[in-house]
Amino acid sequence: MGDGTVARQKQLILVFSRVWAWVFLAGLIAFFATSVNIQSRGGVNFLTIRNSQNILMAIVPVLLMGLGQTFVVIAAGIDLSVGWVMGLSSVVSAMVIVALTDRGTYEPLAIVIGCLAGVVAAIIPGLINGVIIATLRIPSFIVTLGMSFIARGVAFLLSGGNVVGGQPQGVRDLGNEALLYLISGSHGGLYFLRPPAVTGEALRQLDRILQWPVVITFVLLLIMLFVLHKTQFGRHVYAIGGNREAALRAGIPVDRHIIVLYALSAATAGIAGVLSTARFSGGSSIAGDPLLLSSIAAVIIGGVSMFGGEGSVSGTLIGALIIAVMTTGLVMLNVQPFWQYIVVGIVVILAVLIDQARDLIIGRMEAG
Amino acid sequence: MEPMLSVRNLVKRFGGLTAVNHVSLDVYPGEAVGLVGDNAAGKSTLIKCISGVYQADEGEIFFRGERAHFARPIDARRAGIETIYQDLALAGNLGISANIFMGREVKRKYLGGMVHTLDETFMNEASRKVLDTLNIHFANFGEKIEKLSGGQRQAVAIARAVYWQAKLMIMDEPTNNLGVVEQHKVLDLIGKLREEQVPVILISHTLPDVFAVTNRIVVMHRGRRVAEKRTSETNSHEIVQYMVGALDDTR
Amino acid sequence: MKRWIADNSGPKEPMLPKRFLISLFTFVALLTTSLLAQAQFKKPKIGFLPGVVDPFYQVMEIGVNEAAADYGLEVVTQYPQTWGPTIQTPILDAMVGRGDLTYLIIAPTDKEQMIAPLQRAVDAGIKVITVDTFLGDGDYINGKVTFPLSYIGSDNVEGGKIAARALAKVVGNKGKVYIQNTNVGASTTEQRGKGFKDGIAEFKDMQLAGEDYNLDDAGTAAQQTAAKLQANPDLVGIFGVNVFSAQGAGNAVKSAGLGGKVQVIAFDATKDAIENLRQGVVSLVIAQKPHDMGYLAVAFAMADARGVTSLPRRVTTGYAVIDAKNVDDPSVSRFIYRVGK
Repeated sequence: MGDGTVARQKQLILVFSRVWAWVFLAGLIAFFATSVNIQSRGGVNFLTIRNSQNILMAIVPVLLMGLGQTFVVIAAGIDLSVGWVMGLSSVVSAMVIVALTDRGTYEPLAIVIGCLAGVVAAIIPGLINGVIIATLRIPSFIVTLGMSFIARGVAFLLSGGNVVGGQPQGVRDLGNEALLYLISGSHGGLYFLRPPAVTGEALRQLDRILQWPVVITFVLLLIMLFVLHKTQFGRHVYAIGGNREAALRAGIPVDRHIIVLYALSAATAGIAGVLSTARFSGGSSIAGDPLLLSSIAAVIIGGVSMFGGEGSVSGTLIGALIIAVMTTGLVMLNVQPFWQYIVVGIVVILAVLIDQARDLIIGRMEAG
Repeated sequence: MEPMLSVRNLVKRFGGLTAVNHVSLDVYPGEAVGLVGDNAAGKSTLIKCISGVYQADEGEIFFRGERAHFARPIDARRAGIETIYQDLALAGNLGISANIFMGREVKRKYLGGMVHTLDETFMNEASRKVLDTLNIHFANFGEKIEKLSGGQRQAVAIARAVYWQAKLMIMDEPTNNLGVVEQHKVLDLIGKLREEQVPVILISHTLPDVFAVTNRIVVMHRGRRVAEKRTSETNSHEIVQYMVGALDDTR
Repeated sequence: MKRWIADNSGPKEPMLPKRFLISLFTFVALLTTSLLAQAQFKKPKIGFLPGVVDPFYQVMEIGVNEAAADYGLEVVTQYPQTWGPTIQTPILDAMVGRGDLTYLIIAPTDKEQMIAPLQRAVDAGIKVITVDTFLGDGDYINGKVTFPLSYIGSDNVEGGKIAARALAKVVGNKGKVYIQNTNVGASTTEQRGKGFKDGIAEFKDMQLAGEDYNLDDAGTAAQQTAAKLQANPDLVGIFGVNVFSAQGAGNAVKSAGLGGKVQVIAFDATKDAIENLRQGVVSLVIAQKPHDMGYLAVAFAMADARGVTSLPRRVTTGYAVIDAKNVDDPSVSRFIYRVGK
């Protein structure tokens, strides 16, 4: 009997440590849904389509930077350069698009080339990070910190510190238009791919559902989820993070793998930069830096161990969602978003504590 | 019978220190050789030369009749020399089957080979099978390695070597930090390996263990091979004499 | 009530009659409007979204709140933690997502990048007034961005020119001058720098010795200025485009023993800037009028809601030049950015 209870308790603790972030997120949403409504005497609703889409748009850059970071941190590294790499990518993509459209290149082609150029511009510092970290064995936080300064400098040099504007309409559409359009109310309707030409009250009721940056991000999320949890590449990420020496002895090309991981991290940051260019119709070197710590926080809240070897892509998604829900909810409650810092800080520490407490409790149960 | 491994006059120096001094060693199929000696006798250095961690300064290594040059540990592993170190070379955050197949994962192909996924079902089945043949049974097969006991981890490492058909096993202090029951398990496994005709080199400070499973004992002292005895023709008192330098067959 | 203006209200009147008159007037006004224009007029509910937390915007918020109190309006204020569209936009979206705001007073953190997010707010039925920074080229009548109701802010190029002229006057219209700027590409400070250069060009005996960027750090500004002073012993004046730039430049001048010989001119009349002025670290402070911007923006929203159609689309609020002599003169000191207690 005693054994069964212990096993059940153990199971319960394991389950809790795995799902607490989901529960916390659900609790946060429930809290905002009720408190926003009560505070505004029913005048403001948190649970609206518009808000859900706002939150999804808000997580795009944090999640993208966090996705690559998840891989890097599981492999027992860290990439501090993604913030400025995102800015660099934003600047480069905007400059290329402007340069091409000015020369009369077919607009969609110019945009595609520009986006690719932005991602490539991001991958280059990522590759350099990876090569230095893998071959020279310099700690990743030092190398990527250095690279963040370099990326920042290059981004400023290229752009002259200015926002690279003059983007064609297509860029803005990429960043702001959506898969679906919903007009609620009596004259409402659902429109696919193309925004309906409406004005007045109908325009006011128009919600963009699944805007392109969100669609792109979630496609990438699914790919990364698949790669990390279902492929040999992903398995090797865990192996390297768990025991690098063992991975090496098992014949895993560890150095090459690490180089690829930093390139991947830079690439997702690069995509975030390109999408930032699109959303704000302009390339800005400062686009990513303010979000760097949020993205790392999302990764930690999601349960990725900073010692490597542990974590998941879905965890990072939750981490990013918690942060975005908090920002939106606090603004709607008309509480200064500074509180967000305090709560995120607490949640980050809590996330790590829960992991440690779990190991401690289960360890004690097994010992005695 | 031709030796599986033949080490001829191996020398390894570190600066002015000669860690391994003209050592020769033969290991035959189905044999378990004990390699003993005090600390700094040169056992570990010798092993590392064989397994590709170090490169010898002089001398030759023949493996399965061919001259072997192992630039890296992975080369030795590919040739069939499996070394089970004290840190076990397992990833604690992964499960049993993931460790047995680490670096050599079995994949399933989709979309004409464009997408590969891990074939977990196959790897789990194969892992269970190899554990069964070694008579190792886990109640907690799905657990991460770090949740297993020391003996269980040794068992996984040995099972991995067996699954990948190691031609020679080198075990460095495999019974350290293990409970009595687990020590016996590991020693049983060494016996099993011999039955499978896989020769074993066993490095250990625990002489009773060495006497229990080996059929030959090689003693090293200050980098030199000072004695080689059939296990049945010696005793631990004599071996200790060699280990501390009181006896020396080469003098 | 918080009073940011020092003492400029003239002879004190007995409080009761004034209040009584106001209440009576309000009552009558409310009564008539509710009777006459019941259908047309809905009191605006205003969102205020500054660029970042700093004294400039905090003074602006005081103006916003005073106007809101005067008109009896509700204001929702949210400060972004960091400067930049990536941080400001999610907050903007959440304010729009509330669904109850009819007017938004915003200091856009970028004149290009905030166009698309603000267009969304307008689509959602919110009328936008930009303060401090304009969108696009700032011409809301014929320019590329016409959706905001109005722009209320300082003309930073003009501010730079005023700084140049004021400095020229102090140094006798001749000599070498130097600019301490913050970040390349920060539009307001760039414009101040440009205006300053234009202003200096008006004086044939004055030359520009260079411009450095301190990344908004007073320590860096001090280092750069010290190096510049070494290289140019004949420097007569320095323009610090904001508080930190001027503070760093001033400290460098002071520690080089050149206090009084090299004049430092500072932009933005924060308490720190005024303290520096009193200590002789800077010689002149150019004050903007954030309070006016905030108050006017709310008044514009109210007027628009009332159906006023001839609101100017662009209002520049001008500057006050503060020096050691007039710093205690109430007509000037009222432009010092006083926040909190």
